[in-house]
Amino acid sequence: MNTIAIVLVIGLIVFTIALSIFSRRFTRTTADFYLAGRKVGSFSNASAISGDYLSAASFLGVAGAVYASGLDGVWYAAGFAGGFMVVVLFIASALRRFGEYTVADFAFGRFGSNRIRLITVIAVLLTSLFYMAPQMFGAGTTWQVLVGKGFFGMDPYTTGVVMVAAIIAFYVAVGGMKGTTLNQIFQFWWLWFAMFLVVVFAFGSGFSYPDALKEASSAPIVNTKQLTVAELTTENATGVTPMEQAEAIMTADEFAKVEEFVESGAEGKIPVALPSGNKLHELRDQLFAEPGHRYNAFDQFSMVLALVLGTAGLPHILNRYYTNPSGAAARRSTFWVLVFIGTFYILAPIAGLAGIGFIKDYLAGGETIQAATVHGLLVKPDQVMPMLGEILGGQWLMGVVSAGAFAAMFSTVGGLLIAAASAIGHDVYEKYIDPNATEAKRVAVGKIAVLSFAALALFIGLAIPKYGLDQAYPALIAMMVTWAFSVGASAFVPMLLTGIWWKGTTEKGATAGMLVGLISAISIIFLNILQQLGTVGREGVLGFFGALTFPVLFTFPLGLLTIIIVSKIDGQLPKNVDQIWMRIHGTASERHEKQHGLDKVGSMFGKAK
Amino acid sequence: MPDMKSHAISTVSGDDTHVRHGDHTDTIESVDLVFRAQRKLSFTYGAVFFAVTLAIPAASVWWEGWYAVPIWGGFTANYLVVSLLYYIFLWTMAWTYSKQADKLDEELMHMADAITATETAKEA
Repeated sequence: MNTIAIVLVIGLIVFTIALSIFSRRFTRTTADFYLAGRKVGSFSNASAISGDYLSAASFLGVAGAVYASGLDGVWYAAGFAGGFMVVVLFIASALRRFGEYTVADFAFGRFGSNRIRLITVIAVLLTSLFYMAPQMFGAGTTWQVLVGKGFFGMDPYTTGVVMVAAIIAFYVAVGGMKGTTLNQIFQFWWLWFAMFLVVVFAFGSGFSYPDALKEASSAPIVNTKQLTVAELTTENATGVTPMEQAEAIMTADEFAKVEEFVESGAEGKIPVALPSGNKLHELRDQLFAEPGHRYNAFDQFSMVLALVLGTAGLPHILNRYYTNPSGAAARRSTFWVLVFIGTFYILAPIAGLAGIGFIKDYLAGGETIQAATVHGLLVKPDQVMPMLGEILGGQWLMGVVSAGAFAAMFSTVGGLLIAAASAIGHDVYEKYIDPNATEAKRVAVGKIAVLSFAALALFIGLAIPKYGLDQAYPALIAMMVTWAFSVGASAFVPMLLTGIWWKGTTEKGATAGMLVGLISAISIIFLNILQQLGTVGREGVLGFFGALTFPVLFTFPLGLLTIIIVSKIDGQLPKNVDQIWMRIHGTASERHEKQHGLDKVGSMFGKAK
Repeated sequence: MPDMKSHAISTVSGDDTHVRHGDHTDTIESVDLVFRAQRKLSFTYGAVFFAVTLAIPAASVWWEGWYAVPIWGGFTANYLVVSLLYYIFLWTMAWTYSKQADKLDEELMHMADAITATETAKEA
């Protein structure tokens, strides 16, 4: 048990709950619950968007991906940041000018059909679930290294997942968007500070960026994996067993344990170190500073596109743009987001690289750490941040880092729960089930939606290790988040781009494009998962699509083309298309607001009238 | 419904040819003007952004001097750009775009008011 670390995490949890209870008195209407009363200023909103955006994937996953894969992992950071350029250039101010509450509202307002609103709701829920899953996985793995114990008969992983789901569900249901916004601002700065501290401690302990990079690139990357006896002794396509490959990498002492494990025929898995291949330049060794550890040529492009387009397709981020007081404020917020997350993403790969040397040296000195290791490397790279914190700054720094990890999960899952609650409570209940419901009843439905969705997230979090997904990918958290980006980029972004920038987009075109993008992206992701788990082979059409780690290079143009072709064939523009166009691109509202000073930010905590 | 909650003292009215918020009117002509100017600005910046962003993986695939030759310690040009310089590019793009978009908004708002005034005078 890491007592100081646990106390810091508990302190964070108590503070987030207190903030939610404090903001509860200001949540009276649905605009308060879903949009914080549209009174969030640029700096606060930028901090909240950053908190919303920086999830376990950014805090644990980026450093973990860099630790495991080198340059291919660094791309996660750059791509996550680059996504906001698409938002600021094409989406932000138009979405804010259009008004409303949610992406589904935009789809309905722009194309005027209930069908597209309901399809958007389904897409929002699916994208949110894809994004929620890695947060829950992060909660379980962080709890494993932080506490190492389970409660109420649960194992440590399950305890972490249950705790995080319960706490977030409580504070989002109590505080609504105002409470969530306040929490996200606080949580963002905490996790930024935690990342900054780790890097400062690394440099203070003699870390040199160019030298460490040179050292890490002096030999090919080594993979770690946990394998069963059967997996260790089964020949791969080139006629070599993983055991033979491990023997070439591991020291005699390390390999003796593997041999003993195989000879005993024991159940379970043992961690081994394996060589890595270069998927991009097959004849070259896979060095840390070179591309190719994870992605072939297709995936190099597809991953970049998934990340830069996917941000504009994340419903919980898009919802945040409605909380800006004006279109110009939406742009200013995005600039500050880029500064905040950009500095964070410069630091995260440094931490991942620093982890390689510090953890190896620490273990070589005879010390032990709580995370599983083999050959001086972590078996689960996503644990590099808390382990680095412990090595560099003892329990205090590990506590700050662990609290940062939980802050990252809380802030993102909070935003996702609000987005899901908006989709169910606002887009479905208020529009179709009980349009005359009182404000109190609407807010109550939103809270029930939050609790239901949190329960769903809990079950997904528990299912991940059950189906062996945590062993199928080397840096699972970052990988799973990129799937959510892929789904968002394929389902929403073509509809948003054409809806905002091409007047000729029709309802049938947008509906068809969204469905094609959504279904094709999810199908390819599941094929890839099944291929990694060995259920789908690598031959034929299924094998080809299953090999696409990120489907966006294929699915985004497919969705876009579908919209264009179907719209051209259909030709049925909404009857009031000019009115809609004036609403998206008109400025009379902003001129009016400017004239009366309504574009200025008020207080999030004004009394509800 | 348009977002009327945030326009507490605004009177919103209109039809297919215009939308009025208090004293300010958008006509489809003025909005088309605004749209074209915004589209030009956004898509010009978008073209630069995507060209630079996709040039990086392209160089990673086809240019050995980019991805395999160390230029500072262990930094290859590829690693240096993706881990550091790309952010400076993003900040510069976002800052200049926001400033230009704000300036354009100002110009277009004056222009839209002028168009509105002219049309109102014609109607009178």
